[in-house]
Amino acid sequence: MAQTSTPSDMTDENKPIIEIRNFDFAYGDAQALFDINMDIREKEVTSFIGPSGCGKSTFLRCFNRMNDLIDIANIKGGEIKISDINIYDKEVDVIELRKHVGMVFQKSNPFPKSIYDNIAYGLRIQGIKQKSVLDGVVEECLRGAALWDEVKDRLNESALGMSGGQQQRLCIARALAVKPKILLMDEPCSALDPIATAKVEELIHQLKKQYTIIIVTHSMQQAARVSDKTAFFYLGKLIEFGKTDDIFMNPTDPQTEAYISGRFG
Amino acid sequence: MSEKPATNIFSKKPSRQALFETCVSTFFRLATYLVIIAAGYLFVNIAYNGSKAVFTTKAPFINIDFLTQKPQTLHVYEPKEVTTEQQKINAEILSTKAKRNALGSGEKAQRAEYEAHIESLEERYDILDEQRVEGRLMFSDSEYRQLDETPSEELFKYSNYAYSGGGIGPAIIGTCLLVTGSIAIALTLGVLCAVYLSEYSQPGKMLQLIRLSIMNLSGVPSIVFGLFGFGMFVLFFGWGVSMIAGWFTLAIMALPIIITASEESMRAIPKGFREGSLALGASKWTSIRTNVLPYALPGILTSSIMGIARVAGETAPIMFTAAFALRDQLPWEGLKEPTDFFFQGVMALPYHIYVVSAKIPQNEYTRNMQYGAAFVFLFIVGFFALSSIILRVKIRKKYKW
Amino acid sequence: MNRYFHHELHDLRSMLILIAEKANEAGRLAVEGFLSSDLEKTQHAVKLDDEIDALEIAIDRASVRYITLRSPVSSDVRLIFVAIKASHDLERAGDEAHSIAKRTRNILTRDGSVQNKVEIEAMSKLAFGMMKDAINCFLEEDLDLAESIIEQDKEVDRLNKENFKNLSMALRDGGIDPATQIETILISKSIERIADHAKNLAEEVIYLLTGE
Ligand SMILES: Nc1ncnc2c1ncn2[C@@H]1O[C@H](COP(=O)(O)OP(=O)(O)O)[C@@H](O)[C@H]1O
Ligand SMILES: [Mg+2]
Repeated sequence: MAQTSTPSDMTDENKPIIEIRNFDFAYGDAQALFDINMDIREKEVTSFIGPSGCGKSTFLRCFNRMNDLIDIANIKGGEIKISDINIYDKEVDVIELRKHVGMVFQKSNPFPKSIYDNIAYGLRIQGIKQKSVLDGVVEECLRGAALWDEVKDRLNESALGMSGGQQQRLCIARALAVKPKILLMDEPCSALDPIATAKVEELIHQLKKQYTIIIVTHSMQQAARVSDKTAFFYLGKLIEFGKTDDIFMNPTDPQTEAYISGRFG
Repeated sequence: MSEKPATNIFSKKPSRQALFETCVSTFFRLATYLVIIAAGYLFVNIAYNGSKAVFTTKAPFINIDFLTQKPQTLHVYEPKEVTTEQQKINAEILSTKAKRNALGSGEKAQRAEYEAHIESLEERYDILDEQRVEGRLMFSDSEYRQLDETPSEELFKYSNYAYSGGGIGPAIIGTCLLVTGSIAIALTLGVLCAVYLSEYSQPGKMLQLIRLSIMNLSGVPSIVFGLFGFGMFVLFFGWGVSMIAGWFTLAIMALPIIITASEESMRAIPKGFREGSLALGASKWTSIRTNVLPYALPGILTSSIMGIARVAGETAPIMFTAAFALRDQLPWEGLKEPTDFFFQGVMALPYHIYVVSAKIPQNEYTRNMQYGAAFVFLFIVGFFALSSIILRVKIRKKYKW
Repeated sequence: MNRYFHHELHDLRSMLILIAEKANEAGRLAVEGFLSSDLEKTQHAVKLDDEIDALEIAIDRASVRYITLRSPVSSDVRLIFVAIKASHDLERAGDEAHSIAKRTRNILTRDGSVQNKVEIEAMSKLAFGMMKDAINCFLEEDLDLAESIIEQDKEVDRLNKENFKNLSMALRDGGIDPATQIETILISKSIERIADHAKNLAEEVIYLLTGE
C-alpha cells in the first residue's frame, strides 16, 4: 500500500517538479545523507519527518543550495533536478535558483525594517524601484499570506513589532514576493503557539494551490494535517516516502511505524 | 517525621561567614572608591587649572584669544629688587637649616631659636612673593613687539619661555584635522578588512594567524608606530613631516581596535538576516551591504571613534610624522597647490603639551599653557566620544531587533 | 477558527445521515413488502442493504483517517466514535431489513400472499418512527427527543411478545404453514431488533451531546 518512490510509480500522477537521484551529501568526512531517491510533484505539500539530526534540514537546504554557505559541505554523488535541470550544474546561477526556490526558516527572521520594506526587499535587490510596482507586490504578497487585513494600516511600522506568528507569515509573504515556484519551510511553526501554528498551516493549505511546498516538521500531527506526501528520514537515510495517509495509517517499514507511534529508540 | 518548631527557617544567623562577606564587600567597595577618587582628582585638577586659561571674568567669559591665537614666546619681567631680596632670603634659609642640622641632640634651646628664625624668614619670603607677582610684567610675542620701549634692565629681571604665550588655535585646528582624517582612513580600511575577515575569508589556521597578528598590533608601543610611520610615510614615501603621514600613522595604530570591534559587531548580527536575504536571491555582497553592515554600523562607529579618540591622544606617533612644535601659518594659509594641504605639518595639542611641558614641567609661567591646552584637549576628545555615542543611539533607534 | 480539514467532519456527518436514511428506508421497504405482499419492494430493500454496507466501510475509513491524521479532541472525538458505533448499528439495522425482505420473499413464494399480519404494522410504525426520531435528534441535537425514543422501545418489545404469543398459539392450532408462522415470528423479531438499534442510536446521540 505504501508507495516508495521509484520511477515506475509515476504513471498516474503528473511529472515530478523535483527529482532526487542517488543523492549523497557530507559535512567534511561525516556523511549526512545517504543515497536519497525521491520525486516531488508540483503543487503538493511534501513533509519531511524524522528524529532530530537525521538530516531533514540538511536535505531541505540542498534544494536552494543554502548549504553552499557551509565550507565543509559537499555533494558526494547523485543529483537534484528541478524542472529537469541539475541544480548543482556549473551553469546554474545560484541567485536565480534561490529566486525560484524560496525558503522560510525555523526562527522567523524579519529584517529590522518596516513591514513594507521587508516584502519589497526581494524586489529592490533586483533593482526594481518603481513605487507603483512595489506597492502592488506588497499588497499581493500580504494578501497571499493572509496578512493584509491585519497589517494594512501599519505597513510602515517595524516588522519586529508584530507577533511571532505574524512575523513568520511575513517571512512567507516576503518569500512570495520574488515569485518562487517552490517554497521550502524548515520547521516554520516550531516557535509558534497553537493558534499561530494553525494560521500558518491554513496558509500552507491555501498556498499549495499555487506553489510546491516542502516542509520540515518535528510535529507528526502537523505533517499529517498539512501534507499530501510524507517522507520519513532516519540517520540520513530516506526510510519511507509515500502518501501521508499511507505513512500514518499503514506504514510499510517497521521503523516508520515505531517512529510515528512514539515507540522509537 | 518530627514536627519542627515554627521558627523562620530563613532567619539570619550571625556567623564568621557573614562577617567575612561584609569584609570582602567593603574591600571591593574601597578599591572602587580609590579609582573614582583618582579619576575625579585628575579631572578636577585639569578643569580647575585649565579653566584659568580658557575662561575669563569678563564677558564673553571665554578667552577667545587663547583658543584662536598662535602660540608665542612668553616674555616675563620681574622686579629685580624683589627677586634679589628673595634670593638672599633663600640663601639665608638654607644656611640656617644647615646650621640647625649640625646641632647635637642636647642643644634644644639653640635648635628652637634656629627654627623660629627659619619660620620668620619663610614668612618674609611669602610676602615678597606676593609683591613679585604684583609687580611682574608678562608679554606675549606680539605684545612684546608693540612695546615702545622694553622695561629697563635695571629695574627688572627678564626671562622668556618659548611657546607658552599666546594661544593654541593652530593646535586645536591641527588636532581636529588629524582626528577626522585618521577616522576616515581607519574606518574605511578597518571596515573593509573586517568585512573580509568576518564574511569572506575561509576559517582556518591562516585566519587565526591574521587575527592574532592584528590583536598583537594593538599591543605595540605607540613610539614604535611613530618610528614606523616616520620610516614608511615620511622617509620611504617621501611625504615629509605631513598631515597625511600623521593620518596614516594614527589610522594604522587605530586599526586593530577598529577591526576587532567591527568584526565583533558584524558577528553579533543574527545569521538569520544573512540567510534570509540570501534565500531571497541576494548576492553575498548585497546581503552584507543591505542586511549586515547597516545593523552593525552603530557598534562599528562607536568603538571606532572611541578607538580613534584614544589614539589621537598619543603624542609619540605624530611626533615624528605630522606635528610641528610651532607653525605660524594655519593649514589653509599659503598653499601653492591644493594638494599641498595634505603634505604640510600641523600643530597638535598633545605634542604641544609635550613641547611646553618637556623642559620645565612645573614652571610657574608655562603652567597656564599646559593646563589650558590639556583642558581643551580633553574637551575635544570628549566631544568626539560623545558624538559617537549620539550617532549610535540615533542609528540604533532606526534599526533595532 | 474553522480549519480546512473541518469539512471532513462535516462530510462524515452527512455520510452518517445518509446511511441512517438508507437503513430506515430499507427497513420500511421490507416491511411494506411484507404488508402489501410486494416482491419488488423487498428486492429494493436488499439492494439498499448493499449500499449500506459500502457506506459503513466508508464511514469507518473516514473516521480512522480523521483520528490518525487530524488528532481530534473533545466533541470531535465523540462525533467520530458515535459515527463508528452508529454506522455499525445502522448496518445491523440494514441487515435486519435484509432478513425481513428475504423471509417475506420466502412467505410470498410459498403462500402467494401474506395472510397473518399480526401486529406487524403497528410495530413497524413505532420502530421506524423511532428510527426517524433518532435521525432527527442527531440532526437537531435534541436531547429530549432522544430520551423519549428510549421509552418507546418498551412498547415495541411488548408488541413483539404479543406477536410471539399469537403466532405460537396459531402454530399450535395449525392451519397455516408452520414455516410461514416461524418466519413471521422472525420478522417480528427483526423489527424489534431495528427498534433496539434505534434506541442505541438515541443513546449514542445522548453521549455525543453530553459526553456521558
Ligand atoms: N553546519 C554543519 N556542519 C557540520 N555538521 C552539520 C552541520 N549542520 C548539520 N550537521 C550535522 O548533520 C546532521 C543532520 O543535521 P540536520 O540536517 O540539521 O538534522 P535535522 O534538521 O533533521 O534535525 C547532524 O548530525 C548534524 O550534526
Ligand atoms: Mg532541523
